[in-house]
Amino acid sequence: MSVPITIENLTKRFGEKTVLNGITVQIEAGELFFLLGPSGCGKTTLLRAVAGLNEPEEGRIWAGKRDVTHLPPHQRDMGMVFQSYALWPHMTLRENVAFGLEMRGIRKPDADPRVMRALEMVKLADRAKSKPNELSGGQQQRVALARALVIEPQCLLLDEPLSNLDAKLRLEMRTEIRRICKEAGLTAIYVTHDQKEALSIADRLAILDQGRLLQVGSPQEVYTQPASRFIAQFIGETTFVEGHVKAQRNGVADIETAVGVWSAATQVPVADGEPVWLSVRPEAVRLHTDKPDGANVFRAQLHGTIYLGEVAQHAVDLGHDITLKALEMRPKLVARDGARADTRLYVAPEDIQVLKE
Amino acid sequence: MRRSTAWLVFCAVTALLSVLFIWPLSKVVAGGFWVDGHFTLRYLFGVFENPIYIEGLFNSLKIALGTTGLAMVVALPLAWIANQFDFRGKTAFSALVLVPMILPPFVGAIGFQQMFGTYGMVNELFGLGARDWLGGGQYLGVVLLQTLALYPILYLNAVAALANIDPAMDEAAANLGCTRIRRFFRITLPLMMPGLFAGGTLIFIWSFTELGTPLIMNYTRCASVQVYDSLKEIGTNPFPYALVSVMLASSVGLYAISKWLFGGQTYAMQSKASTQTAVRSLSGWRALLAALPFALVTGLALLPHLGVVLTSFATPGSWYQNVLPSSFTGGNYIEALGHDMTISSIRNSLLFSSLAVGFDIVVGIAIAFVVVRSTIRVRGVLDALSMIPLAVPGLVMAFGFLAVSSWLSNLKGVSNMDWWPQVVDVRTNPTLFLVLAYSVRRLPYMVRSAVAGLQQTSVTFEEAAWNLGASPAHTLRRITLPLILANLIAGTLLTFAFSMLEVSDSLMLAQQADYMPITKAIFELFQLLGTGKHVAAALGVWAMAFLTATLVGSSLLLGKKLGAVFRV
Repeated sequence: MSVPITIENLTKRFGEKTVLNGITVQIEAGELFFLLGPSGCGKTTLLRAVAGLNEPEEGRIWAGKRDVTHLPPHQRDMGMVFQSYALWPHMTLRENVAFGLEMRGIRKPDADPRVMRALEMVKLADRAKSKPNELSGGQQQRVALARALVIEPQCLLLDEPLSNLDAKLRLEMRTEIRRICKEAGLTAIYVTHDQKEALSIADRLAILDQGRLLQVGSPQEVYTQPASRFIAQFIGETTFVEGHVKAQRNGVADIETAVGVWSAATQVPVADGEPVWLSVRPEAVRLHTDKPDGANVFRAQLHGTIYLGEVAQHAVDLGHDITLKALEMRPKLVARDGARADTRLYVAPEDIQVLKE
Repeated sequence: MRRSTAWLVFCAVTALLSVLFIWPLSKVVAGGFWVDGHFTLRYLFGVFENPIYIEGLFNSLKIALGTTGLAMVVALPLAWIANQFDFRGKTAFSALVLVPMILPPFVGAIGFQQMFGTYGMVNELFGLGARDWLGGGQYLGVVLLQTLALYPILYLNAVAALANIDPAMDEAAANLGCTRIRRFFRITLPLMMPGLFAGGTLIFIWSFTELGTPLIMNYTRCASVQVYDSLKEIGTNPFPYALVSVMLASSVGLYAISKWLFGGQTYAMQSKASTQTAVRSLSGWRALLAALPFALVTGLALLPHLGVVLTSFATPGSWYQNVLPSSFTGGNYIEALGHDMTISSIRNSLLFSSLAVGFDIVVGIAIAFVVVRSTIRVRGVLDALSMIPLAVPGLVMAFGFLAVSSWLSNLKGVSNMDWWPQVVDVRTNPTLFLVLAYSVRRLPYMVRSAVAGLQQTSVTFEEAAWNLGASPAHTLRRITLPLILANLIAGTLLTFAFSMLEVSDSLMLAQQADYMPITKAIFELFQLLGTGKHVAAALGVWAMAFLTATLVGSSLLLGKKLGAVFRV
């Protein structure tokens, strides 16, 4: 039965180094929750703490109403999919998958159908008698998933489960993982450094950096309302323009910058005169050759186009050392070697994020 | 691994090794320095003032230096050729050069004497008359025999060290215009130094204190034989203790120096070897040239064995002033198996070795687990502690155990009970002390094998099992042990083989015919006049056959990693 996982003020040190620094987060039952961050941010350490593979110095971990902080890993009932899969090479697929049931004292006649169902779910029932090293990377990954799922864990833990697969298989498997989790109604914690993976299938995600939890929210929230420049930059692409608040009315602020005044919708309260950064994402920049002057319209020079067919990426020079990136669907403006001086750009106020840090 | 469990194992093993290791050694040192209730340096100085002891130590040092140097000369070119070239029959040759390990050098000495003795095969074959090839002092014979028996250890170390060097190092030098031979001296040799020194230290310590070979060759003026001869006075004379202390100090000192010089076991390679070594395929006369050293060394190394086999089949008295024995017989084998001492010695050796192996498996796995899988700081201490038996000569250990035994058997309160001497007095029943001596001295092989196995086995295999609900004990049984089984079997075979072959402890501790292991029985039979030598050789052939089987088995299981077992 799936349970919510509650992490309270978790702190973990390795020697002098604080790897997790007061993490508090609540993961709902049946939720697919992502831990996202650059390498070394502590996301795997946090996952291993939940699994009981390392013991935190401070804080608590609850699985439902049960305090599992100091419970040894084998009593936690949380299926884990390891980055290296950790399929035991001396056992067949069937034995690998049956192991967890055996540990729960489930006899062979009862266990066998469950093992076969799990292998069928990952479409490997016909390979039950194979050894792990006879399988491809993608197949091994699916066995690891089946092995973790067959015990019907309280919570599924996934540690970069797709990082060893090729790009095509990664796309296939991530929707597959979401389908399986949702069908079983599983609470799942998924660690990755791949933002696309997180954005595409997460219910909610948490951004970590240097052992701290920076932001928790749905993919759209985190993408459209990043809490800081670090997050805006980490999730998706963006360019920052430095400025300060000149005036504001009805949730829209005028921001004075080196290239002029921008209107931007503010998601957090700002004070007049406060220094802020505007985060402008490439897809928010609209390019024109004949746009009349007005709010948020700037003259620009286009250069360094990367033409990809259905889309082109431009570098857009606004002067004063400010260069935005712009994404143009069905591209018409191309400046590969020279520069085009006849361009104007427009960014809608609601597509600009105003960041205080 | 939980810290509390790790600490528990650490304390238990440390306590155990203290009793089995530190206690006997301290008895040895105390025997030489703590006489009649107070500390004295009189006997230490006495050792250095007595010209006989000085000569003995000097000769032992000469043996050790000669053996180590000669083994380097033999093993290095072989390892380099094996690493650099490919030629027909290379696999067979590189297996054949390991053959000498199947026989303790002192058994080989029996055959060696038959061939190189004054009236032996070589003189007869080439019509040289009665010429003494072994030199009046037999020094050359002892060094040659020990070299031919011990060079495989160095060869394995050198091959392992070479395999560990990223070929890109060599290729970079070649790219800059360095020739193959110069690359060896400028790049390869400096990089393999740590591995080479480790093997060299081991050979030095072994040959410095070797007892069997000098005894058979009748080279009595070396320290090990002097210690053996003084066993009768063990209760009364402090000089042997002081002499053994000197040998202990030199061995441990050398071990410490090698550890200090090459503390990190090897140069850390920046990358795993990214390319295969550019092995050059040789054919025609070049291949012959490369195979020649292997053939030569193997041929030489097999001479003592050949001598032993011939002796075992020779009708007693028929191999004297002849190239080959004039008549052959299988009678020696029948007599060997019929002799009271042989049957019981085979039984004893099997029993002692099995018990020792059982002990080593349990303790070795426990140590390996703490060393590889725990995070406690002192795990390095445990690793070092379990390796020290390699640095302490068997002779010294045996002497220490004798001292402990005599102390225990005179213990007030229990010494007058019937069963007490049966357990602790080696003069009555040496089983306990022989088993302990075998276990402690062979423990490093077991630890090394288990450590290697655990290091190759990712800890995530165990974590996955815990995660699915297996307790630590269950995980050990179902996941870890099966995964490191090949290493454990290899370690077991080596431990077992070397226990069966053990010389120093066996010669010194087993004093009752009923409790003699094979090696001591061979020695006793050899000393019998008449048929003794031939029956001893027959028993030696049995031992050879047995050890061949175990070593072939373990090298198949361990592959190229066999070399790692013989590292200090």
